[in-house]
Amino acid sequence: MRLLLVEDHVPLADELLADLGRQGYAVDWLADGRDALWQGQHEPYDLIVLDLGLPGMPGLQVLREWRAAGLTTPVLVLTARASWAERVDGLKAGADDYLCKPFHPEELALRIQALLRRAHGLAVQAHLAVEGVVLDEARQAVLRGDEIVQLTAAEFRLLRYFMLHPGQLLSKSQLNEHLYDGESERESNVIEVHVKRLRDKLGRELIETRRGQGYRFLGLAK
Amino acid sequence: MISLQRRLSIALAGILLVAGLLLIKSSLWLFDSAMRHYLQNDLRDEAQSLLGAVREGHLGLLLDDRRIDPSFQRPYSGRYFRIDFADTTWRSRSLWDAQLAVAQQPAMQPELVDGPQQQRLLVWRGDYQRFGQSLVITVAQDYTPVLYNLRRVQWLFAAIGGMTLLLVLCLQRWAVQRALRPLEQVRGQVRQLQEGQRTQLHDQVPVELLPLVQQVNDLLRQTEQSLQRSRTALGNLGHALKTPLAVLFNLLHRQPLAQEPMLQAELREHLQQIEQRMARELGRARLAGDVLPGAHFDCAAELPAFLDTLRMVHGQRVQLAWQAPQGLRVAVDREDLLELLGNLLDNACKWARQRVELSLTPSADALLICVDDDGPGIAEDKRAEVLGRGNRLDEQVAGHGLGLAIVRDIAESWGASLQLLDSPLGGLQVRLAIPSRRT
Repeated sequence: MRLLLVEDHVPLADELLADLGRQGYAVDWLADGRDALWQGQHEPYDLIVLDLGLPGMPGLQVLREWRAAGLTTPVLVLTARASWAERVDGLKAGADDYLCKPFHPEELALRIQALLRRAHGLAVQAHLAVEGVVLDEARQAVLRGDEIVQLTAAEFRLLRYFMLHPGQLLSKSQLNEHLYDGESERESNVIEVHVKRLRDKLGRELIETRRGQGYRFLGLAK
Repeated sequence: MISLQRRLSIALAGILLVAGLLLIKSSLWLFDSAMRHYLQNDLRDEAQSLLGAVREGHLGLLLDDRRIDPSFQRPYSGRYFRIDFADTTWRSRSLWDAQLAVAQQPAMQPELVDGPQQQRLLVWRGDYQRFGQSLVITVAQDYTPVLYNLRRVQWLFAAIGGMTLLLVLCLQRWAVQRALRPLEQVRGQVRQLQEGQRTQLHDQVPVELLPLVQQVNDLLRQTEQSLQRSRTALGNLGHALKTPLAVLFNLLHRQPLAQEPMLQAELREHLQQIEQRMARELGRARLAGDVLPGAHFDCAAELPAFLDTLRMVHGQRVQLAWQAPQGLRVAVDREDLLELLGNLLDNACKWARQRVELSLTPSADALLICVDDDGPGIAEDKRAEVLGRGNRLDEQVAGHGLGLAIVRDIAESWGASLQLLDSPLGGLQVRLAIPSRRT
């Protein structure tokens, strides 16, 4: 999952980058409203965390222009402006969720998970469950009955992305774009290696390979 | 209440009444004195012709009957005389058996004298020397026909005067109403202002009213701007304080604090106190309360987006519904009402099983806002405690406590009353009555 964090307060941004990185998200960070307006429209983000008090351009204005340009990426507004009138204005501008500062880190993690699931049409519940695979996002592990299959950070990221796009054909470049932030080195065979490991841990039928086209998540339903 | 219209009417009626009475009285007096003056000449001529009728006979003085006006012969004719000389008195036949006293002073008598048959007599006296005798001739004429006519004229004047007064008052009322119409318009606009149907007074008014209207408009603008400024400043202050606070909350989970659970818990508690205190005070400082008369809240325009915001927060678990009469505008600040409804419905959604309903019902003297839920409700003996909670900082807890404290602050700023009741849905009903503004 690739996230855009737009936050001008550097210490908070540092904290959030570290937190979100640990939770398996690839995060790009911007501090200026004008940069955010451009980059939000030109990079394929799965979710945007937007602060409203931004230099360059107010966050609400950025959000309005994104929506006017047809951007449908879910946006979580993160702000110190906690009044209900501002929340309503935020929603009118096109926000999908609203989290007021100061917040607890777990709260932000839960809201992001919930928003991602809702954006992919999945029910919001304790674990991400798709096609017979149950993923515990807090522990970054797959639950199979009583058995817990621990995943590495890279495997977890990949599996979560597959599970949020079940049945869809995903090309290697698409996976690369969504799993790594704009500054990471993208090695060509790294996806192949992690897909193989996931199959080894969970079963061959989990992910189907379409030669020359990409991968498809089928799950363990059968 | 003093009405300009009534003041003007009373003043004008008083002036007209005094002027009218003076006019009638003085014209009657003038007429009366002119009449007396004219009759005085008559009486003098009369006396002189009587003097001419006095002759000297061999037995003394005689009065020649043939030279006396015949009206002196007819009884009670209204014309009388009396001639006194030495110790003799001649009386006109017309006096019949009545008496005419000798007048006190020569020429015209200032007062009328009672005559026979309720007549009022104008009396004139002349002193003459004739045939070696001094003669005193007193002539009198009945004045009642003139008095009668004067009284009639007086009533006529009074009637005409009264009618004129009435007419003038009606005309004045019309003229004043016309002149005061701009005032009436301004009054109507002030009422609309209080009901939140307009934000400025119209400045197409007469010159006399223009400074007042402009002053009011300037005040309104200034109040709105200063409210906006202070809200922005508070927003910035909140932003400046809350962002570092968010960093601190995050740091609690880092090494080495994560290894010191006691220290971590204590820090967390104090940070939460700072956060809640800040939320409460910033929220209270943001309230517009009663300062902006032009403020209004358009239900149909605001409530759908507001309920969408709640659905965003609480997901699809709770069904939200609202009802209000079509086109209802509430004369309170939009942010204040949204904050109040936000806290009330947020609480209701937290406790509700499936349904939360919001209703706004205007009545003659108040606007009733009810928030109903189908949750567990609050036992009757606990309600006062819940309403009172959050008075002190250390009592403030998230959920019912802090939210209700802000709701109470807002309700107080409107002079509204807050009640907790049983809901027909089975849970709690929060009922708020906002009194309508006096106009």
